[in-house]
Amino acid sequence: MRSKPKWLFPVLALVPVLGLYACLRVYPIAETLRLSLFKWNIISRRKPFVGLDNFVELMSDPLFLEAIFNTTVVAFGVLVITIPVGLALAALINGRQGLRRSGFYETSIFLPHVVSLVPAAMAWKWIFDARLGPLNAFIGWFGIPAQSWLFDPVLSIVCLIVLCSWQSIGYAVLIFLVGLKNVPEALYEAARLDGASPFQAFRYVAIPLLKPVMLYVSVITLISSYNIYAQAFVLASDVQGAPGHLVRVLVLDMLENSFRNYRVGYAAAEAVVLLVIVLVLTGAQFRLFRDRSRA
Amino acid sequence: MAFIATSVGTFGYPTPPRKKRLSLLSAARWLAVAVALPMLASPASAEKLTIWSGWPDLAPFYKRVGDQLKAKYPDLEISVEAIALREHEKRLALSLPSGAAGDVIEMEVEAARYLEAGLIPEPPASIVDFVKANYDMTRVKTATYDGKIYGVPLFQGQGALFYNTDMFAKAGLNSPPKTMAEYTAYAQKLVQRDASGAPTVSGWSLRLSGGGSGIAEKYWTILYNFGGTLLEEKGGKWRAAYANEAGRNALKQYLDNVVSYRTVSPEMKADAEAFELGQTAMFIRESWVIGDVAKKAPTLKYATAPLPKGTLMVPVDLYVPNKGPKSQIAWDFVQKANEPENLLWLLENTAWVPNRKGLDYSAILGKIPQLGAFVNTPADHVFFTVPAISPASEILTRLAARLEKAFTDKSLAGNDAAIDAFLKSAAEESDKILAREDLLAK
Repeated sequence: MRSKPKWLFPVLALVPVLGLYACLRVYPIAETLRLSLFKWNIISRRKPFVGLDNFVELMSDPLFLEAIFNTTVVAFGVLVITIPVGLALAALINGRQGLRRSGFYETSIFLPHVVSLVPAAMAWKWIFDARLGPLNAFIGWFGIPAQSWLFDPVLSIVCLIVLCSWQSIGYAVLIFLVGLKNVPEALYEAARLDGASPFQAFRYVAIPLLKPVMLYVSVITLISSYNIYAQAFVLASDVQGAPGHLVRVLVLDMLENSFRNYRVGYAAAEAVVLLVIVLVLTGAQFRLFRDRSRA
Repeated sequence: MAFIATSVGTFGYPTPPRKKRLSLLSAARWLAVAVALPMLASPASAEKLTIWSGWPDLAPFYKRVGDQLKAKYPDLEISVEAIALREHEKRLALSLPSGAAGDVIEMEVEAARYLEAGLIPEPPASIVDFVKANYDMTRVKTATYDGKIYGVPLFQGQGALFYNTDMFAKAGLNSPPKTMAEYTAYAQKLVQRDASGAPTVSGWSLRLSGGGSGIAEKYWTILYNFGGTLLEEKGGKWRAAYANEAGRNALKQYLDNVVSYRTVSPEMKADAEAFELGQTAMFIRESWVIGDVAKKAPTLKYATAPLPKGTLMVPVDLYVPNKGPKSQIAWDFVQKANEPENLLWLLENTAWVPNRKGLDYSAILGKIPQLGAFVNTPADHVFFTVPAISPASEILTRLAARLEKAFTDKSLAGNDAAIDAFLKSAAEESDKILAREDLLAK
């Protein structure tokens, strides 16, 4: 009697997971790629093939170009704030491990990440309110005139970056803390014997060892920032038409094209562009971190 | 005996006793019966009718209609799913093609797409006769496709001026503005400022920001009252009609108020909220504000007035998207909703204006005089609507994105040539969208 091949069980065990992955991940991506080559209004059976026309139109669409610019500014703004601030906060918390209230600091920094997005955005909307918001009251103490945070095209992007960073820093801190706890104590000890200050030990021992963690956090932060939607929507919306300046971001533009303008093929083309941008940036980050670690 | 009780296997060997398996099977059977019992207990004739609305404030109205329909269908269960309009539009787009929509649905002009795609069945002849007998056919346009009526009008959104009578009296103004030029002159008299000259109470709250097509719709209303329109029809096709003097005057009015005279600023509270808080003296809005003020600012002293020439009117129609045994109940619901008694309740309790002809509003007007500007409009007052063409929403949304920037653009203030260039570029974009859909008039 022939024995069953050794690979059979692992393959069979993986089949359900791979099947689910194919259905829930691969198929929608493939379908989006296919749809981007068609003109389709979501309700019609007619779905003419238009080749790359949707992509050609995108390149001269001012709303799409504005959306891609805004999204990129917000994504890199969040990245630039989240990584250093998250790392610094993680280092401070790590330095207080075992002391009183260290758990409190960890929890309070992580809390924004788990708070429901819409109420959080509503709270920030109040903070940024030009007339009644505490932010303008605060800057008023320093003689700075009140700002139209949610109405000025530039300031409204800054507000969005602040809101998204506030939410993402907690997660970054948590991951950095895990990384910092895994740095062997012996390395710090050796640095100390060599005369390194605590900051030098952190800079030259911990940070190089945290590069894989930094890569992970930066990739996750960038991808999630390119996918922002609800934050921009809530900051600019109001049931009674007393809204703010709508920061047009890519996902918002896609939704508008799909369900307001009924241009699903066109929105799919936008999704493909977003996919390419995220893939390229992720690849660039991998390359950047890998090259540096080799050097 | 034990041997007899044991069954014999395929090859003559006795199989193990099935006691355990049998008990599992019987447990499963009991479980199935337990699950099925509640279903068997409910009457066989029970029906559930789902109503999909894009106006949460209409939920009590539909529940009331559903309760009345129980006289005819005692076991009828009504489920009213009223959500925000934009979300409602999304669920229609996702559910109508798959036949999974509610039993009765509301639609505005976007119905044109679904009618064109054959996703809405024709109503029974009795419903068509009902519509023809009770509605002005100009208000049934959005529910008509290829000469056939598919839906029943329920109510309409239409604009009028809301003004704070205390603020008007304080500014020495005894009557509402009658021309668009007067609107700006009034706003200058009504605005209240702080020591630095910044407006604290806007003279005229204009829609200056926010996403979606609302900005363009409000601009269209002002444009119309300057003698223009956004889109004009020629031989069944359309073209942009706002790159002209009327379009320039409408945009100049925004720029005058925001940039030149600063009677309003984008960061101020706006719209109904500002009106209810006493932070604006006047604004243009639909009749629902009356119901909102009654709830949120019941002591506010205000009046309403029709706009100088006409207003954008957005009819909301009811459709039954599914064929089948329930469709008759659904059409009964639609007809019940349109009974005069219910329509008057709708007006009195939500302030939405019914579409049906021949309703006697006198008793309600005695209680809520502000409704007069909506139901007793002058004979020459024009109601125009968004054309029932598929790219209408995209045209408005894209124009809105441009207008939002233009309203605060100081380089446009007092510069007719720059305003004309802006309007020309925007109109070209509108025409491009129409051309893409083969709807551009030559």
